Amino acid sequence: MAESTFGVLGIFKSGADLLKAVPKVKEKGFASLEAYTPYPVHGIDKAIGIKKSKLGILVFIMGTIGAVSAFLFQWWTSAVSYPLRIGGKPYNSWEAWVPAMFEVTVLFATFTAGLGMLFIFNKLPFFGSPILKSKAIAATTRDRFALLIQPTGGLLDVEAARAALLEAGGTDIEILPAPDLTPPGPGWWARNLAGIALVCVAVGFGTMWAIKIFPTVKPMVEMENQAKLDAQKADGFFKDGHGMQLPPVGTVPRHYMPILAKSPDQAGKDLVNPLPVTAKVLQRGKAGYDIHCAVCHGYMGRGKPLLDKFYKASPANLQSSTVMNAPDGYIYFVISKGKGSMPSYEADISSKDRWAIIHYVRALQRSLHAKEEDLK
Amino acid sequence: MSEGTVTGATPTSNRVLAGMSAVGLAGVVLTYFVEGPARFWADWLIWFVFLVVVALGALFVVALQHVTGSVWSVPLRRAPERVAALTPWLIPVAAVALFSLPVLFSWAHPGASHVRAIVEKSAWLNYPFFITRLVICLVVWVASYRILVGKSVQQDTSRDPHITVMLRRFSPVFMVLLGLTITSFAFDWVSSLEAVWYSDIFGVYLFAGAALSGLAASTLACIYLMRRDRLTKVTADHLYNLGGLLFGFTVFWGYIAFSQYLLQWYANMPEEVFWYKQRTVGGMLIVFIILGIGHYFVPFLALMTEDAKKKWKRLRWVSVWLLFMQIIDLYWMIFPLLGKNMNLGWPELAFALFFLSGGVLVVKRAMEKGSDVPVGDPFLEAGLEFHL
Repeated sequence: MAESTFGVLGIFKSGADLLKAVPKVKEKGFASLEAYTPYPVHGIDKAIGIKKSKLGILVFIMGTIGAVSAFLFQWWTSAVSYPLRIGGKPYNSWEAWVPAMFEVTVLFATFTAGLGMLFIFNKLPFFGSPILKSKAIAATTRDRFALLIQPTGGLLDVEAARAALLEAGGTDIEILPAPDLTPPGPGWWARNLAGIALVCVAVGFGTMWAIKIFPTVKPMVEMENQAKLDAQKADGFFKDGHGMQLPPVGTVPRHYMPILAKSPDQAGKDLVNPLPVTAKVLQRGKAGYDIHCAVCHGYMGRGKPLLDKFYKASPANLQSSTVMNAPDGYIYFVISKGKGSMPSYEADISSKDRWAIIHYVRALQRSLHAKEEDLK
Repeated sequence: MSEGTVTGATPTSNRVLAGMSAVGLAGVVLTYFVEGPARFWADWLIWFVFLVVVALGALFVVALQHVTGSVWSVPLRRAPERVAALTPWLIPVAAVALFSLPVLFSWAHPGASHVRAIVEKSAWLNYPFFITRLVICLVVWVASYRILVGKSVQQDTSRDPHITVMLRRFSPVFMVLLGLTITSFAFDWVSSLEAVWYSDIFGVYLFAGAALSGLAASTLACIYLMRRDRLTKVTADHLYNLGGLLFGFTVFWGYIAFSQYLLQWYANMPEEVFWYKQRTVGGMLIVFIILGIGHYFVPFLALMTEDAKKKWKRLRWVSVWLLFMQIIDLYWMIFPLLGKNMNLGWPELAFALFFLSGGVLVVKRAMEKGSDVPVGDPFLEAGLEFHL
């Protein structure tokens, strides 16, 4: 036979007939067989000698990669790159990551199974086996069982194959021509990719349009709608109708002891910095300084504000001899009560933190006015 | 099919098993007097619950075949039916276990009336209702055993196909009863040890272990009979299905176990999470890790491939391992009650010897009676022709 064939196909009436026919056909020397049945016939894959699919191991490997990468991703985002304390749990909370690990495992595994089946083992993008164009295909989806003899290596002896199938009890023998296996040209690719792009654009615009026309339903509003006091809003909970309340008369918040001195000079005489100069206190002071003070006084305290182009105010130069010679109590009073256009920071910075900031300011001053003996 | 050896004299192996059980019993009794009642009752409870889960698991496997109308499983259905022969023996073990109530159960302690959470549960946790529930459970289980297994054995001689129809109608009813009784049993006998603690999913957790243990014991019984040429027509394809069920229920157990842990860990409620805290500190942390890896990942990976489920050697060690893990699971749940006294030692070996050899003896004696396959089942021939 000069013409190449896809195979020779015969029809059987039942799964049992098909199973009986397989060894008879094999006896004649035809090794490459395929069966088409309306439902799984138990034992058929063993009979025709289908090799175990390699898809399983591929799916296992990809599933494992999915689990490991999901773990590493969550570990890196929540414990390394941007550690956030959530629910009082440690950063390294593997328990919370398991659901996502499971999902990604399933995602990788199923995509590998689906796409691997289609592209690696079913050899996409070649669509349609010649069997789909055969006369037998309709019957094999109903109540008939087809056995196909395919060429092993070279060409198939069509007449011998037909005889073998007839002898094994097959009917309606059909010879299927070889499929056209030329790879699809650029036109095919262009058509298909353009089609996919068109669908994406249509779905995108469709969604946008749908959201504009139909009112969107907010999912999970329980947390938003809970009964709570809102600091900036009216509320019937308190008698005066305000959500935000002043402290009761005669009370002082913890860590915010009011300053008793009447003037900065008096404070300079009366008050002594209660904190020791330790690395921890300086760290705390630096944090407070950088948050509250540096905006106007500058990170080095030179009095050059970060926003001086927009604000015409001229903040004090903390490196000046006036501030350097001022006692700690004086600076404490200024932070607490403000001076000139500087507002009071009494409510924002705890008294302990104010003292820590003063230590840090002293360290800043010393860093720019180092004396020879500091080197020793 | 080949008949089991029915002889008047007791086989030597049975006498050995009885002897081992007697030695174990001596150790069990000694435990009470040497190590004190708390250790004794904790061990007794572990083995009581273990026998319950294996027996009920086997009944579940039998009923599952009837509910699904499985044909493939007919030739090997006698294996779980014979493992279920443990069911009537639950009555004496449960009767003894009742004496553990004042020793181990926190709601039965004199100080319990001062704990609000326990007082709120007192409508459920009190002696009369507790014992009533135990009696109801035992009646349901033994009666179901008599129906599911008794009728099946009866069919061997009567060859009446109506019995198959009747069992297929009874099994869904049994499934509902099993769900209710095992949930109540799990709440009563394991979770009420710490009466303050609660977990809605706990009944499902014990059921997952029961299904897995019942399947593992049935698989072992099946392989035991196959190795002695008493189930000659059962093939690797039948084993594959058993392995598939083992694999599936392994995942089910892992899912349930982790769900319970994750929710309580996340919510971090003091009345819930203390239970896990007690069980993840010190030596118990090691047991916890062994449980997670051994009860889930080991059988999951061991049974993953198609070939693994067909190999009887693989199935045998996985089944033994799963039963061992069930005991570790119960040890992990029950032993932390003992506080500092929760070491492993000779008492645990004695209990294992007593209950294991006794249990194996019961199942083995059940195997000596009657036919090894349900010869009267009309689906037997179809089941023997099963191919993957």
